[in-house]
Amino acid sequence: MSGERPLNVVESLGAAVLGVVNDFGSYTKFTAWALWGILRPPYRLRLLIKQMYFVGNQSLSIVLITGAFTGMVFAVQSDFAFGKFGARGLIGSTVVLALTRELGPVLTSLMVNGRVGSAMAAELGTMRVTEQIDALESMAIDPIQYLAAPRIGATILMMPILCAAFDGVGALGVSWVATHVLQVNPGPFFDRMAWFVDPDDIWGGMLKSALFGFIVASVGCWRGYHAKGGAEGVGQATTKAVVAAGVAILVVDYFVTVIMAPLSVNRI
Amino acid sequence: MDDGAIQLVDLKKRFGAQEVLRGVNLEIPRGKITVVIGRSGTGKSVLLKILMGLLRPDSGNILLGGQDMTKLGDSALLKMRNRFGMVFQNAALFDSMTIYENIAFPLREHERLKEKELKARVDAALASVGLLEHGHKDPHQLSGGMRKRAAVARALVRKPEFLLYDEPTTGLDPIMTAHVDELIRGTQDSTPGLTSLVISHDMQATLHIADKIAMLFEGQVIFEGTPDDVRTTDNPVVRQFVEGRLEGPIKV
Repeated sequence: MSGERPLNVVESLGAAVLGVVNDFGSYTKFTAWALWGILRPPYRLRLLIKQMYFVGNQSLSIVLITGAFTGMVFAVQSDFAFGKFGARGLIGSTVVLALTRELGPVLTSLMVNGRVGSAMAAELGTMRVTEQIDALESMAIDPIQYLAAPRIGATILMMPILCAAFDGVGALGVSWVATHVLQVNPGPFFDRMAWFVDPDDIWGGMLKSALFGFIVASVGCWRGYHAKGGAEGVGQATTKAVVAAGVAILVVDYFVTVIMAPLSVNRI
Repeated sequence: MDDGAIQLVDLKKRFGAQEVLRGVNLEIPRGKITVVIGRSGTGKSVLLKILMGLLRPDSGNILLGGQDMTKLGDSALLKMRNRFGMVFQNAALFDSMTIYENIAFPLREHERLKEKELKARVDAALASVGLLEHGHKDPHQLSGGMRKRAAVARALVRKPEFLLYDEPTTGLDPIMTAHVDELIRGTQDSTPGLTSLVISHDMQATLHIADKIAMLFEGQVIFEGTPDDVRTTDNPVVRQFVEGRLEGPIKV
């Protein structure tokens, strides 16, 4: 690389590609080591529980609010659509299907990403720039296993619970708006909901959310772990973590949904 | 060669185009305080991190009791680290824990102790640095000097053979510097068999505490000797550094 002249287009494109490949390699290595850290001793149950509490506590209120209002607004919007061909009885089933299969896992993990992923990146980043991670290593403790493994494990475990909470309040939100505000006949409303929504929809969504939880925590920890410089570096790591995990959730969601789709087609 | 000594042989390390260590040769004698001096950015901290196994050298050997540390695998290296304690420049205490928990941490991780024994060990370590009454506080509630003392207690609590200090007096006022010097000297004198390595650019402190001084310049050790040797040497690089002059072989 030359320092004297400005980079031309090809060089900067090449540098960008190299950067992405490097990042991907570094992320994969970090995450594989962290997952291996979950499986092998020493098991630090106390840290895992502390992190589970942290993830749940940080996110529950915001997930509940998001869930309730998502359900409520979708009730209003689908009333607008279904009202046009007199199928308002389908509002409940449609919205709850959308919630459990898609909106629950995606919106929950995006909210958790904003709260928890950013906090993990900031915490590990601060530990990195203040040499606390070096201190762990100097005490013969594997810092990835100590810091990243419980965070990733806790987020994988907690995300489905938060997703289920989102689904639950979302369903309450749509039911209340439909039957009380929009005056939809409760009979067909709940009947169709029960008819169309399967436990598999709920389980499938929760499973997806566990995968997204893994993305949120692993990207947050990885970015924080490799933070450089002082406060600015920690800030950059945090921003990058939230953006990268957010985009990754949406991209991975598409592919996972495509893969999972045949499983649910057969049953109808 | 003294069997217990650490022997650094032709250590080299580069970061990209920058050659930080260009063949470092140094013997760190057992039971003494060795101070490595040099300007900021001459690779002193890199040397320390290599010694600790936090960084791998590009080439060269670190011999300790007939073993070459640079040839160890990851798990053997992890075990080797148990023989070392390190005091970081800014103490690097875990800010999610109290001072007591910081010092208890390495014991909890590596030794199966009953809570009573653990408390005795931690209290002893706290007392040895005069912090017995401050164990319940968070790191940010302590002054810089107290944090450093806590860091020494944490590094010592598992009774390591080697204690490494990374610029222990940087950023401290003269009184606090004298205090930390006393701490290093006192720790050395009260801990039989301990070998200390201090990285510093503080000449006053160095002359005061060192048994042996080595100067790192342009990635190599260009001088080794006792404090008296340093005071009387006519090596122009050492002279310039000791006297803090602008003119001389060291260019700013």
